[in-house]
Amino acid sequence: MALLTFCLVTGSTVPRFALELLAAARRLSEQLGGTPVQTLLLGSEVKNQSSVLIQHGADQVLLADHPSLGNPGDEIVLNLLEEVVCQFKPQVILLPHNELGGGHLGPRLAYRLKTGIVTDCTGFDVQNGNIRWLRPVYGGKAMVYMRTRGPVQIATIRSRAFEPLKPDPDRQGEVHEIKIVPELLSSSVNVVRRVEVPGIEGEISLDRAEIIVGGGRGMGSSEGFSRLRELARLLGAAVGGSRPAVDMGWLPHSHLIGQTGKIVAPKLYIAVGISGASQHMAGAGGSKTIVAINKDPDAPIFKLAHIGVVEEWEKIIPPLIQALKEMLSK
Amino acid sequence: MHIVVCIKQIIDPEVPFHLFRIDPVTKAQIRGSHPLVISPYDEVAIEVAIQAKEKFGGSVTVISIGTEEAIQALHQALAMGADSAILLSDPAFEGVDSFGKARILASALRKIGNFDLILCGRQAGDVEMGLVGPFLAEELGLPCLTLVSNVVSSNGKIQFKRPTETGYEILEAPIPCLATITNDESNVPRYASVKRLRAAMRTPIPVWALADIGLDLAELRGESKIEIEEIWIPQREIRCELIEGKSPEEKAQNLARRLKELGLI
Repeated sequence: MALLTFCLVTGSTVPRFALELLAAARRLSEQLGGTPVQTLLLGSEVKNQSSVLIQHGADQVLLADHPSLGNPGDEIVLNLLEEVVCQFKPQVILLPHNELGGGHLGPRLAYRLKTGIVTDCTGFDVQNGNIRWLRPVYGGKAMVYMRTRGPVQIATIRSRAFEPLKPDPDRQGEVHEIKIVPELLSSSVNVVRRVEVPGIEGEISLDRAEIIVGGGRGMGSSEGFSRLRELARLLGAAVGGSRPAVDMGWLPHSHLIGQTGKIVAPKLYIAVGISGASQHMAGAGGSKTIVAINKDPDAPIFKLAHIGVVEEWEKIIPPLIQALKEMLSK
Repeated sequence: MHIVVCIKQIIDPEVPFHLFRIDPVTKAQIRGSHPLVISPYDEVAIEVAIQAKEKFGGSVTVISIGTEEAIQALHQALAMGADSAILLSDPAFEGVDSFGKARILASALRKIGNFDLILCGRQAGDVEMGLVGPFLAEELGLPCLTLVSNVVSSNGKIQFKRPTETGYEILEAPIPCLATITNDESNVPRYASVKRLRAAMRTPIPVWALADIGLDLAELRGESKIEIEEIWIPQREIRCELIEGKSPEEKAQNLARRLKELGLI
Protein backbone atom coordinates (compact mmCIF):
# COMPACT_ATOMS: atom_id res chain seq x y z
CA MET A 1 0.00 0.00 0.00
CA ALA A 2 1.49 3.29 -1.06
CA LEU A 3 0.66 6.95 -1.44
CA LEU A 4 0.27 7.87 -5.10
CA THR A 5 0.97 11.35 -6.44
CA PHE A 6 0.64 12.66 -9.95
CA CYS A 7 2.86 14.52 -12.38
CA LEU A 8 1.81 15.48 -15.90
CA VAL A 9 4.61 17.11 -17.86
CA THR A 10 3.39 19.17 -20.82
CA GLY A 11 6.37 21.53 -21.06
CA SER A 12 10.08 20.96 -20.63
CA THR A 13 10.18 20.83 -16.83
CA VAL A 14 8.36 19.17 -13.94
CA PRO A 15 5.53 21.53 -12.91
CA ARG A 16 5.64 23.01 -9.43
CA PHE A 17 2.36 21.35 -8.43
CA ALA A 18 3.99 17.91 -8.75
CA LEU A 19 6.71 18.92 -6.28
CA GLU A 20 4.13 20.37 -3.89
CA LEU A 21 2.21 17.06 -4.03
CA LEU A 22 5.40 15.18 -3.21
CA ALA A 23 6.00 17.45 -0.21
CA ALA A 24 2.46 16.72 0.99
CA ALA A 25 2.91 12.99 0.37
CA ARG A 26 6.19 12.86 2.31
CA ARG A 27 4.60 14.57 5.29
CA LEU A 28 1.63 12.20 5.15
CA SER A 29 3.95 9.21 4.78
CA GLU A 30 5.82 10.29 7.91
CA GLN A 31 2.57 10.56 9.89
CA LEU A 32 1.41 7.17 8.64
CA GLY A 33 4.69 5.54 9.70
CA GLY A 34 6.70 5.48 6.51
CA THR A 35 4.32 4.49 3.72
CA PRO A 36 6.21 4.54 0.39
CA VAL A 37 5.45 7.32 -2.10
CA GLN A 38 4.78 6.53 -5.75
CA THR A 39 4.41 9.12 -8.49
CA LEU A 40 2.67 8.59 -11.80
CA LEU A 41 4.77 10.50 -14.33
CA LEU A 42 2.94 11.17 -17.59
CA GLY A 43 4.26 12.77 -20.73
CA SER A 44 6.21 12.36 -23.93
CA GLU A 45 9.98 11.81 -23.60
CA VAL A 46 9.87 12.44 -19.87
CA LYS A 47 11.95 9.52 -18.57
CA ASN A 48 14.81 11.83 -17.57
CA GLN A 49 12.42 13.79 -15.31
CA SER A 50 12.11 10.74 -13.02
CA SER A 51 15.23 11.73 -11.11
CA VAL A 52 13.72 15.16 -10.32
CA LEU A 53 10.73 13.45 -8.72
CA ILE A 54 12.92 11.03 -6.78
CA GLN A 55 15.09 13.89 -5.51
CA HIS A 56 11.94 15.65 -4.31
CA GLY A 57 10.53 12.69 -2.41
CA ALA A 58 9.27 9.90 -4.72
CA ASP A 59 10.33 6.34 -3.82
CA GLN A 60 9.04 4.89 -7.06
CA VAL A 61 8.19 6.59 -10.35
CA LEU A 62 5.52 4.92 -12.44
CA LEU A 63 6.50 6.10 -15.88
CA ALA A 64 3.84 6.52 -18.57
CA ASP A 65 5.94 7.79 -21.45
CA HIS A 66 4.31 7.88 -24.87
CA PRO A 67 4.41 10.24 -27.89
CA SER A 68 0.65 10.87 -27.62
CA LEU A 69 0.95 11.93 -23.97
CA GLY A 70 2.71 15.20 -24.79
CA ASN A 71 -0.48 17.16 -24.22
CA PRO A 72 -3.18 14.57 -23.60
CA GLY A 73 -6.88 15.26 -23.10
CA ASP A 74 -8.39 14.81 -19.65
CA GLU A 75 -10.15 11.55 -20.57
CA ILE A 76 -6.85 9.92 -21.51
CA VAL A 77 -5.19 11.04 -18.29
CA LEU A 78 -8.18 9.69 -16.36
CA ASN A 79 -7.93 6.31 -18.15
CA LEU A 80 -4.25 6.01 -17.29
CA LEU A 81 -4.77 7.03 -13.70
CA GLU A 82 -7.56 4.50 -13.29
CA GLU A 83 -5.36 1.80 -14.84
CA VAL A 84 -2.48 2.57 -12.48
CA VAL A 85 -4.76 2.63 -9.44
CA CYS A 86 -6.21 -0.77 -10.37
CA GLN A 87 -2.71 -2.22 -10.84
CA PHE A 88 -1.01 -0.75 -7.79
CA LYS A 89 -3.93 -0.30 -5.35
CA PRO A 90 -2.61 2.75 -3.47
CA GLN A 91 -3.93 3.65 -0.03
CA VAL A 92 -4.15 7.36 -0.80
CA ILE A 93 -4.14 9.33 -4.07
CA LEU A 94 -3.05 12.97 -4.02
CA LEU A 95 -3.94 15.09 -7.05
CA PRO A 96 -3.43 18.78 -7.72
CA HIS A 97 -6.49 20.97 -7.19
CA ASN A 98 -6.17 22.67 -10.54
CA GLU A 99 -8.33 22.50 -13.66
CA LEU A 100 -7.11 18.96 -14.22
CA GLY A 101 -6.98 17.25 -10.86
CA GLY A 102 -9.69 19.06 -8.96
CA GLY A 103 -12.01 19.76 -11.82
CA HIS A 104 -11.93 16.49 -13.54
CA LEU A 105 -9.71 13.62 -12.59
CA GLY A 106 -10.28 13.49 -8.86
CA PRO A 107 -14.10 13.48 -8.77
CA ARG A 108 -14.49 11.15 -11.77
CA LEU A 109 -11.88 8.74 -10.47
CA ALA A 110 -13.63 8.70 -7.08
CA TYR A 111 -16.96 7.89 -8.68
CA ARG A 112 -15.46 5.07 -10.75
CA LEU A 113 -13.76 3.60 -7.68
CA LYS A 114 -16.89 4.16 -5.49
CA THR A 115 -14.74 5.88 -2.93
CA GLY A 116 -14.71 9.12 -0.99
CA ILE A 117 -12.85 12.23 -2.04
CA VAL A 118 -12.05 15.60 -0.49
CA THR A 119 -11.19 18.40 -2.90
CA ASP A 120 -9.14 21.56 -2.39
CA CYS A 121 -7.37 20.42 0.78
CA THR A 122 -4.93 22.73 2.50
CA GLY A 123 -3.72 20.19 5.06
CA PHE A 124 -4.44 16.96 6.94
CA ASP A 125 -3.75 15.16 10.16
CA VAL A 126 -3.56 11.54 11.17
CA GLN A 127 -5.12 10.08 14.31
CA ASN A 128 -4.70 6.35 15.02
CA GLY A 129 -3.84 5.80 11.38
CA ASN A 130 -6.99 7.62 10.15
CA ILE A 131 -6.53 10.63 7.92
CA ARG A 132 -8.63 13.77 8.35
CA TRP A 133 -8.49 16.25 5.50
CA LEU A 134 -8.45 19.97 6.24
CA ARG A 135 -10.09 22.42 3.85
CA PRO A 136 -11.86 25.77 3.81
CA VAL A 137 -15.63 25.94 3.19
CA TYR A 138 -18.04 28.85 2.68
CA GLY A 139 -15.39 30.88 0.88
CA GLY A 140 -12.95 30.44 3.75
CA LYS A 141 -15.37 31.69 6.41
CA ALA A 142 -15.14 28.27 8.06
CA MET A 143 -12.71 25.37 8.09
CA VAL A 144 -13.56 21.67 8.22
CA TYR A 145 -11.91 18.35 8.84
CA MET A 146 -13.44 15.77 6.51
CA ARG A 147 -13.22 12.01 6.50
CA THR A 148 -13.84 9.69 3.60
CA ARG A 149 -14.88 6.06 3.33
CA GLY A 150 -14.07 3.58 0.61
CA PRO A 151 -11.29 1.38 -0.73
CA VAL A 152 -8.90 4.29 -1.32
CA GLN A 153 -8.79 7.90 -0.18
CA ILE A 154 -8.53 10.63 -2.78
CA ALA A 155 -7.64 14.23 -2.02
CA THR A 156 -6.93 17.16 -4.30
CA ILE A 157 -4.42 19.60 -2.83
CA ARG A 158 -4.70 23.37 -3.12
CA SER A 159 -1.86 25.06 -4.94
CA ARG A 160 0.80 26.54 -2.62
CA ALA A 161 -0.57 24.79 0.47
CA PHE A 162 2.74 22.86 0.57
CA GLU A 163 6.23 24.08 -0.27
CA PRO A 164 8.33 21.75 -2.45
CA LEU A 165 11.09 19.97 -0.51
CA LYS A 166 14.70 20.83 -1.20
CA PRO A 167 16.00 18.35 -3.79
CA ASP A 168 18.27 15.68 -2.34
CA PRO A 169 20.69 14.47 -5.06
CA ASP A 170 21.55 11.38 -3.00
CA ARG A 171 17.96 10.17 -2.69
CA GLN A 172 17.38 6.77 -4.26
CA GLY A 173 14.28 5.51 -6.00
CA GLU A 174 13.22 3.21 -8.77
CA VAL A 175 11.47 3.69 -12.09
CA HIS A 176 8.77 1.32 -13.27
CA GLU A 177 7.48 1.66 -16.82
CA ILE A 178 3.74 1.44 -17.41
CA LYS A 179 2.68 -0.38 -20.55
CA ILE A 180 0.53 1.91 -22.67
CA VAL A 181 -2.09 -0.04 -24.61
CA PRO A 182 -3.98 1.82 -27.38
CA GLU A 183 -7.36 1.50 -25.60
CA LEU A 184 -6.06 3.83 -22.90
CA LEU A 185 -5.49 6.56 -25.45
CA SER A 186 -9.04 6.93 -26.74
CA SER A 187 -11.17 9.92 -25.81
CA SER A 188 -14.66 11.09 -26.73
CA VAL A 189 -13.69 14.70 -26.03
CA ASN A 190 -11.27 16.30 -28.48
CA VAL A 191 -9.23 19.47 -28.26
CA VAL A 192 -10.05 21.26 -31.52
CA ARG A 193 -7.52 24.03 -30.99
CA ARG A 194 -5.61 25.88 -28.33
CA VAL A 195 -5.38 29.65 -28.52
CA GLU A 196 -2.78 31.72 -26.70
CA VAL A 197 -4.00 35.19 -25.87
CA PRO A 198 -0.96 37.41 -25.46
CA GLY A 199 -1.11 39.39 -22.24
CA ILE A 200 0.37 42.81 -21.61
CA GLU A 201 4.11 42.62 -22.20
CA GLY A 202 6.12 41.70 -19.14
CA GLU A 203 2.97 40.91 -17.18
CA ILE A 204 3.32 38.28 -14.49
CA SER A 205 0.63 35.63 -14.05
CA LEU A 206 -1.37 35.66 -10.79
CA ASP A 207 -0.80 31.94 -10.35
CA ARG A 208 2.95 32.33 -10.14
CA ALA A 209 3.51 35.72 -8.55
CA GLU A 210 5.29 36.07 -5.20
CA ILE A 211 3.90 39.59 -4.89
CA ILE A 212 0.44 40.73 -6.04
CA VAL A 213 -0.94 44.26 -6.20
CA GLY A 214 -4.74 44.28 -6.08
CA GLY A 215 -7.19 47.10 -6.69
CA GLY A 216 -10.87 47.46 -5.90
CA ARG A 217 -13.83 49.77 -6.26
CA GLY A 218 -11.85 52.52 -4.53
CA MET A 219 -9.56 52.83 -7.58
CA GLY A 220 -12.37 54.73 -9.25
CA SER A 221 -11.28 54.23 -12.87
CA SER A 222 -9.13 52.17 -15.22
CA GLU A 223 -6.52 54.96 -15.06
CA GLY A 224 -6.08 54.08 -11.40
CA PHE A 225 -5.00 50.63 -12.50
CA SER A 226 -2.22 52.02 -14.68
CA ARG A 227 -0.65 53.40 -11.51
CA LEU A 228 -1.01 49.99 -9.85
CA ARG A 229 0.64 48.38 -12.89
CA GLU A 230 3.52 50.80 -12.52
CA LEU A 231 3.88 49.78 -8.87
CA ALA A 232 3.64 46.12 -9.83
CA ARG A 233 6.33 46.40 -12.53
CA LEU A 234 8.66 47.92 -9.98
CA LEU A 235 8.12 45.05 -7.53
CA GLY A 236 8.01 42.27 -10.12
CA ALA A 237 4.42 41.74 -9.04
CA ALA A 238 1.21 40.61 -10.73
CA VAL A 239 -1.91 42.80 -10.85
CA GLY A 240 -5.32 41.56 -9.76
CA GLY A 241 -8.48 42.96 -8.31
CA SER A 242 -11.84 42.48 -6.66
CA ARG A 243 -15.17 41.96 -8.40
CA PRO A 244 -16.28 45.61 -8.58
CA ALA A 245 -13.06 46.44 -10.48
CA VAL A 246 -13.78 43.63 -12.96
CA ASP A 247 -17.50 44.50 -13.22
CA MET A 248 -16.60 48.11 -14.03
CA GLY A 249 -14.32 46.88 -16.81
CA TRP A 250 -11.13 48.27 -15.25
CA LEU A 251 -9.53 44.85 -15.24
CA PRO A 252 -9.96 41.74 -17.42
CA HIS A 253 -11.92 38.87 -15.91
CA SER A 254 -8.85 36.62 -15.81
CA HIS A 255 -7.42 38.96 -13.14
CA LEU A 256 -10.31 38.54 -10.72
CA ILE A 257 -9.23 37.42 -7.23
CA GLY A 258 -12.01 35.96 -5.09
CA GLN A 259 -14.47 33.18 -4.45
CA THR A 260 -15.58 33.24 -8.09
CA GLY A 261 -12.12 34.05 -9.44
CA LYS A 262 -8.52 33.12 -8.71
CA ILE A 263 -7.44 31.88 -5.30
CA VAL A 264 -3.96 33.18 -4.64
CA ALA A 265 -1.42 32.86 -1.84
CA PRO A 266 1.50 35.21 -2.54
CA LYS A 267 4.20 36.18 -0.05
CA LEU A 268 2.93 39.77 -0.17
CA TYR A 269 -0.48 41.10 -1.18
CA ILE A 270 -0.93 44.87 -1.46
CA ALA A 271 -4.67 45.65 -1.45
CA VAL A 272 -5.44 49.15 -2.69
CA GLY A 273 -8.93 50.65 -2.48
CA ILE A 274 -10.31 47.25 -1.47
CA SER A 275 -12.88 47.12 1.32
CA GLY A 276 -12.26 43.49 2.28
CA ALA A 277 -15.59 41.86 1.35
CA SER A 278 -15.76 38.12 1.99
CA GLN A 279 -16.05 37.36 -1.75
CA HIS A 280 -12.62 38.90 -2.32
CA MET A 281 -10.94 37.64 0.83
CA ALA A 282 -11.92 34.07 -0.12
CA GLY A 283 -9.36 34.49 -2.90
CA ALA A 284 -6.74 36.67 -1.22
CA GLY A 285 -7.03 35.62 2.44
CA GLY A 286 -4.28 33.02 2.11
CA SER A 287 -1.61 35.64 1.38
CA LYS A 288 1.27 35.46 3.87
CA THR A 289 1.36 39.23 4.44
CA ILE A 290 -1.49 41.57 3.51
CA VAL A 291 -0.88 45.31 3.23
CA ALA A 292 -4.04 47.43 3.01
CA ILE A 293 -4.19 50.93 1.61
CA ASN A 294 -7.62 52.49 2.05
CA LYS A 295 -8.89 55.97 2.85
CA ASP A 296 -11.65 54.61 5.12
CA PRO A 297 -10.23 53.73 8.57
CA ASP A 298 -13.35 51.61 9.25
CA ALA A 299 -12.99 49.43 6.13
CA PRO A 300 -13.15 45.73 7.12
CA ILE A 301 -9.84 45.12 5.31
CA PHE A 302 -8.02 46.69 8.30
CA LYS A 303 -9.24 43.79 10.44
CA LEU A 304 -7.79 41.30 7.95
CA ALA A 305 -4.53 42.99 6.98
CA HIS A 306 -1.17 42.75 8.74
CA ILE A 307 -0.07 46.23 7.74
CA GLY A 308 -2.37 49.16 7.01
CA VAL A 309 -2.14 52.69 5.72
CA VAL A 310 -5.15 55.00 5.98
CA GLU A 311 -4.79 57.27 2.99
CA GLU A 312 -6.27 58.04 -0.42
CA TRP A 313 -4.50 55.93 -2.99
CA GLU A 314 -4.05 58.91 -5.31
CA LYS A 315 -1.96 60.60 -2.63
CA ILE A 316 0.17 57.68 -1.50
CA ILE A 317 0.81 55.50 -4.56
CA PRO A 318 2.93 58.08 -6.47
CA PRO A 319 5.28 58.79 -3.50
CA LEU A 320 5.34 55.06 -2.70
CA ILE A 321 6.50 54.32 -6.26
CA GLN A 322 9.12 57.05 -5.83
CA ALA A 323 10.31 55.73 -2.46
CA LEU A 324 10.52 52.16 -3.75
CA LYS A 325 12.42 53.27 -6.86
CA GLU A 326 15.02 54.97 -4.69
CA MET A 327 15.23 52.05 -2.29
CA LEU A 328 15.47 49.37 -4.97
CA SER A 329 18.07 51.26 -7.00
CA LYS A 330 20.46 51.28 -4.02
CA MET B 1 -30.84 21.43 -28.58
CA HIS B 2 -32.41 20.59 -25.22
CA ILE B 3 -30.23 21.77 -22.36
CA VAL B 4 -30.85 20.78 -18.74
CA VAL B 5 -29.20 22.93 -16.07
CA CYS B 6 -28.79 21.56 -12.54
CA ILE B 7 -28.84 24.30 -9.92
CA LYS B 8 -28.53 24.54 -6.14
CA GLN B 9 -30.06 27.15 -3.88
CA ILE B 10 -27.72 28.27 -1.11
CA ILE B 11 -27.52 30.89 1.63
CA ASP B 12 -26.18 34.11 0.11
CA PRO B 13 -22.38 33.57 0.04
CA GLU B 14 -21.84 37.32 0.38
CA VAL B 15 -22.87 37.26 4.06
CA PRO B 16 -20.09 39.23 5.79
CA PHE B 17 -17.67 37.51 8.15
CA HIS B 18 -19.14 39.01 11.30
CA LEU B 19 -22.65 37.68 10.57
CA PHE B 20 -21.52 34.18 9.61
CA ARG B 21 -22.52 31.45 12.11
CA ILE B 22 -22.30 27.69 12.09
CA ASP B 23 -24.40 25.02 13.76
CA PRO B 24 -22.12 22.53 15.53
CA VAL B 25 -24.78 19.80 15.30
CA THR B 26 -25.65 19.98 11.60
CA LYS B 27 -22.07 21.12 10.86
CA ALA B 28 -23.44 23.68 8.42
CA GLN B 29 -24.05 27.41 8.20
CA ILE B 30 -27.01 28.78 10.17
CA ARG B 31 -29.55 30.31 7.83
CA GLY B 32 -30.57 33.18 10.14
CA SER B 33 -32.26 35.98 8.23
CA HIS B 34 -29.90 35.72 5.27
CA PRO B 35 -31.47 35.51 1.80
CA LEU B 36 -31.30 32.38 -0.34
CA VAL B 37 -29.78 32.70 -3.79
CA ILE B 38 -28.87 30.54 -6.77
CA SER B 39 -25.31 29.33 -6.21
CA PRO B 40 -23.13 31.75 -8.26
CA TYR B 41 -21.63 29.28 -10.76
CA ASP B 42 -25.06 27.68 -11.27
CA GLU B 43 -26.45 31.09 -12.17
CA VAL B 44 -23.62 31.39 -14.70
CA ALA B 45 -24.59 27.94 -16.06
CA ILE B 46 -28.17 29.18 -16.61
CA GLU B 47 -26.76 32.15 -18.52
CA VAL B 48 -24.60 29.87 -20.69
CA ALA B 49 -27.63 27.68 -21.45
CA ILE B 50 -29.80 30.66 -22.42
CA GLN B 51 -27.06 32.10 -24.64
CA ALA B 52 -26.73 28.70 -26.36
CA LYS B 53 -30.50 28.57 -26.88
CA GLU B 54 -30.44 32.06 -28.37
CA LYS B 55 -27.61 31.14 -30.75
CA PHE B 56 -28.55 27.60 -31.76
CA GLY B 57 -32.24 27.24 -30.88
CA GLY B 58 -33.82 24.65 -28.59
CA SER B 59 -34.99 24.82 -25.02
CA VAL B 60 -33.68 25.04 -21.46
CA THR B 61 -34.96 23.04 -18.48
CA VAL B 62 -33.72 23.85 -14.99
CA ILE B 63 -33.82 21.30 -12.18
CA SER B 64 -32.94 21.54 -8.51
CA ILE B 65 -32.88 19.32 -5.46
CA GLY B 66 -34.33 21.23 -2.53
CA THR B 67 -37.24 22.10 -0.34
CA GLU B 68 -40.28 24.15 -1.44
CA GLU B 69 -38.13 27.24 -0.91
CA ALA B 70 -36.03 26.32 -3.95
CA ILE B 71 -39.05 27.12 -6.16
CA GLN B 72 -37.96 30.74 -5.78
CA ALA B 73 -34.61 29.90 -7.42
CA LEU B 74 -36.39 28.06 -10.23
CA HIS B 75 -38.68 31.07 -10.80
CA GLN B 76 -35.61 33.24 -11.14
CA ALA B 77 -34.16 30.82 -13.73
CA LEU B 78 -37.44 30.97 -15.68
CA ALA B 79 -37.39 34.77 -15.51
CA MET B 80 -33.83 34.73 -16.92
CA GLY B 81 -35.14 32.81 -19.91
CA ALA B 82 -35.38 29.10 -19.09
CA ASP B 83 -38.43 27.36 -20.59
CA SER B 84 -39.36 24.93 -17.84
CA ALA B 85 -38.32 23.90 -14.36
CA ILE B 86 -38.68 20.86 -12.12
CA LEU B 87 -38.17 20.68 -8.36
CA LEU B 88 -36.82 17.42 -6.93
CA SER B 89 -38.08 17.37 -3.37
CA ASP B 90 -38.51 14.62 -0.80
CA PRO B 91 -37.65 14.42 2.90
CA ALA B 92 -35.53 11.38 1.98
CA PHE B 93 -33.19 13.60 -0.06
CA GLU B 94 -32.04 15.55 2.98
CA GLY B 95 -28.51 14.94 4.14
CA VAL B 96 -27.43 12.71 1.24
CA ASP B 97 -23.82 13.19 0.13
CA SER B 98 -22.62 14.11 -3.37
CA PHE B 99 -22.87 10.48 -4.51
CA GLY B 100 -26.55 10.48 -3.49
CA LYS B 101 -27.22 13.83 -5.15
CA ALA B 102 -25.74 12.57 -8.42
CA ARG B 103 -28.04 9.53 -8.21
CA ILE B 104 -31.12 11.69 -7.63
CA LEU B 105 -30.26 14.02 -10.52
CA ALA B 106 -29.44 11.06 -12.79
CA SER B 107 -32.83 9.45 -12.09
CA ALA B 108 -34.60 12.72 -12.85
CA LEU B 109 -32.62 13.15 -16.07
CA ARG B 110 -33.47 9.61 -17.18
CA LYS B 111 -37.12 10.50 -16.66
CA ILE B 112 -36.72 13.77 -18.60
CA GLY B 113 -35.06 11.70 -21.31
CA ASN B 114 -34.50 13.76 -24.43
CA PHE B 115 -31.61 15.99 -23.37
CA ASP B 116 -28.57 16.89 -25.48
CA LEU B 117 -26.51 18.74 -22.94
CA ILE B 118 -26.40 18.94 -19.14
CA LEU B 119 -24.80 21.94 -17.47
CA CYS B 120 -23.72 22.24 -13.82
CA GLY B 121 -21.86 25.06 -12.08
CA ARG B 122 -18.23 24.14 -11.41
CA GLN B 123 -18.84 24.07 -7.65
CA ALA B 124 -21.47 25.20 -5.17
CA GLY B 125 -20.85 28.48 -3.38
CA ASP B 126 -21.15 26.92 0.09
CA VAL B 127 -19.14 23.71 0.59
CA GLU B 128 -17.35 24.18 -2.75
CA MET B 129 -16.41 20.53 -3.32
CA GLY B 130 -17.19 20.50 -7.06
CA LEU B 131 -18.24 16.84 -7.11
CA VAL B 132 -21.84 16.60 -8.27
CA GLY B 133 -21.25 17.57 -11.92
CA PRO B 134 -18.47 15.05 -12.66
CA PHE B 135 -20.26 12.41 -10.55
CA LEU B 136 -23.44 12.91 -12.57
CA ALA B 137 -21.53 12.48 -15.85
CA GLU B 138 -20.10 9.20 -14.56
CA GLU B 139 -23.46 7.99 -13.28
CA LEU B 140 -25.05 8.63 -16.68
CA GLY B 141 -21.98 7.39 -18.57
CA LEU B 142 -21.64 10.66 -20.46
CA PRO B 143 -18.56 12.46 -21.78
CA CYS B 144 -17.65 15.16 -19.28
CA LEU B 145 -16.06 18.53 -19.93
CA THR B 146 -15.08 20.65 -16.97
CA LEU B 147 -14.54 24.35 -16.40
CA VAL B 148 -15.87 25.51 -19.76
CA SER B 149 -17.33 28.98 -20.15
CA ASN B 150 -19.47 28.87 -23.28
CA VAL B 151 -21.02 26.82 -26.06
CA VAL B 152 -19.43 28.02 -29.30
CA SER B 153 -21.05 25.72 -31.85
CA SER B 154 -23.59 22.98 -32.13
CA ASN B 155 -23.61 20.89 -35.26
CA GLY B 156 -24.05 17.21 -34.50
CA LYS B 157 -21.32 17.66 -31.93
CA ILE B 158 -20.99 20.48 -29.39
CA GLN B 159 -17.98 22.74 -29.12
CA PHE B 160 -17.10 24.56 -25.92
CA LYS B 161 -14.72 27.32 -24.96
CA ARG B 162 -12.53 26.58 -21.98
CA PRO B 163 -10.38 29.36 -20.49
CA THR B 164 -6.78 28.35 -19.77
CA GLU B 165 -4.00 30.13 -17.90
CA THR B 166 -2.63 31.62 -21.11
CA GLY B 167 -5.70 31.88 -23.35
CA TYR B 168 -8.39 29.36 -24.13
CA GLU B 169 -9.05 26.08 -25.88
CA ILE B 170 -11.93 24.81 -27.96
CA LEU B 171 -13.14 21.36 -26.96
CA GLU B 172 -15.53 19.16 -28.88
CA ALA B 173 -17.76 16.42 -27.51
CA PRO B 174 -20.51 14.20 -28.89
CA ILE B 175 -24.17 14.67 -27.92
CA PRO B 176 -25.32 14.07 -25.22
CA CYS B 177 -22.63 15.25 -22.84
CA LEU B 178 -22.21 17.09 -19.55
CA ALA B 179 -20.21 20.24 -18.90
CA THR B 180 -19.32 22.08 -15.71
CA ILE B 181 -19.32 25.83 -16.07
CA THR B 182 -16.84 28.45 -14.94
CA ASN B 183 -17.21 32.18 -15.40
CA ASP B 184 -15.53 34.61 -17.76
CA GLU B 185 -16.44 37.93 -19.40
CA SER B 186 -18.80 36.21 -21.85
CA ASN B 187 -21.26 34.73 -19.37
CA VAL B 188 -22.14 37.34 -16.73
CA PRO B 189 -25.67 36.30 -15.64
CA ARG B 190 -28.43 38.51 -16.99
CA TYR B 191 -30.74 40.37 -14.69
CA ALA B 192 -34.23 38.92 -14.23
CA SER B 193 -36.58 41.90 -14.31
CA VAL B 194 -39.48 42.17 -11.86
CA LYS B 195 -41.90 41.97 -14.79
CA ARG B 196 -40.38 38.73 -16.03
CA LEU B 197 -40.18 37.39 -12.49
CA ARG B 198 -43.93 38.01 -12.06
CA ALA B 199 -44.64 36.17 -15.28
CA ALA B 200 -42.34 33.32 -14.23
CA MET B 201 -44.21 32.92 -10.95
CA ARG B 202 -47.32 31.98 -12.92
CA THR B 203 -45.48 29.08 -14.60
CA PRO B 204 -46.35 25.84 -12.80
CA ILE B 205 -43.33 23.94 -11.50
CA PRO B 206 -43.79 20.18 -11.15
CA VAL B 207 -42.41 18.64 -7.97
CA TRP B 208 -40.92 15.16 -8.30
CA ALA B 209 -40.48 13.08 -5.15
CA LEU B 210 -38.49 9.89 -4.63
CA ALA B 211 -41.27 7.67 -5.98
CA ASP B 212 -41.66 9.82 -9.12
CA ILE B 213 -38.09 9.25 -10.22
CA GLY B 214 -38.05 5.55 -9.37
CA LEU B 215 -35.19 5.54 -6.93
CA ASP B 216 -34.85 2.99 -4.17
CA LEU B 217 -34.66 4.67 -0.77
CA ALA B 218 -32.36 2.12 0.87
CA GLU B 219 -30.08 2.28 -2.15
CA LEU B 220 -29.95 6.05 -1.88
CA ARG B 221 -29.22 6.30 1.81
CA GLY B 222 -26.21 4.03 1.87
CA GLU B 223 -23.33 4.93 4.13
CA SER B 224 -22.08 8.42 3.36
CA LYS B 225 -18.63 8.30 1.75
CA ILE B 226 -17.76 11.90 2.57
CA GLU B 227 -18.40 13.43 5.98
CA ILE B 228 -17.61 16.63 7.79
CA GLU B 229 -16.12 15.59 11.10
CA GLU B 230 -15.42 18.98 12.58
CA ILE B 231 -16.24 22.54 11.54
CA TRP B 232 -15.08 25.81 13.05
CA ILE B 233 -14.74 29.48 12.27
CA PRO B 234 -11.06 30.40 12.17
CA GLN B 235 -9.93 33.32 14.25
CA ARG B 236 -9.08 35.78 11.49
CA GLU B 237 -8.83 39.16 13.14
CA ILE B 238 -5.22 40.14 13.02
CA ARG B 239 -3.80 43.12 14.84
CA CYS B 240 -3.11 45.46 11.98
CA GLU B 241 0.08 47.46 12.25
CA LEU B 242 -0.84 50.96 11.08
CA ILE B 243 1.79 52.95 9.24
CA GLU B 244 1.63 56.57 10.39
CA GLY B 245 3.07 59.77 8.97
CA LYS B 246 2.42 63.50 8.88
CA SER B 247 1.96 63.55 5.13
CA PRO B 248 1.20 60.97 2.44
CA GLU B 249 4.86 61.21 1.39
CA GLU B 250 6.02 60.34 4.89
CA LYS B 251 3.58 57.43 5.09
CA ALA B 252 4.87 56.20 1.73
CA GLN B 253 8.49 56.39 2.97
CA ASN B 254 7.61 54.58 6.19
CA LEU B 255 5.67 51.85 4.36
CA ALA B 256 8.50 51.25 1.89
CA ARG B 257 11.01 51.05 4.76
CA ARG B 258 8.82 48.63 6.74
CA LEU B 259 8.36 46.32 3.74
CA LYS B 260 12.11 46.27 3.26
CA GLU B 261 12.75 45.58 6.97
CA LEU B 262 10.37 42.63 6.85
CA GLY B 263 12.18 41.26 3.79
CA LEU B 264 9.00 41.40 1.75
CA ILE B 265 10.51 43.33 -1.16
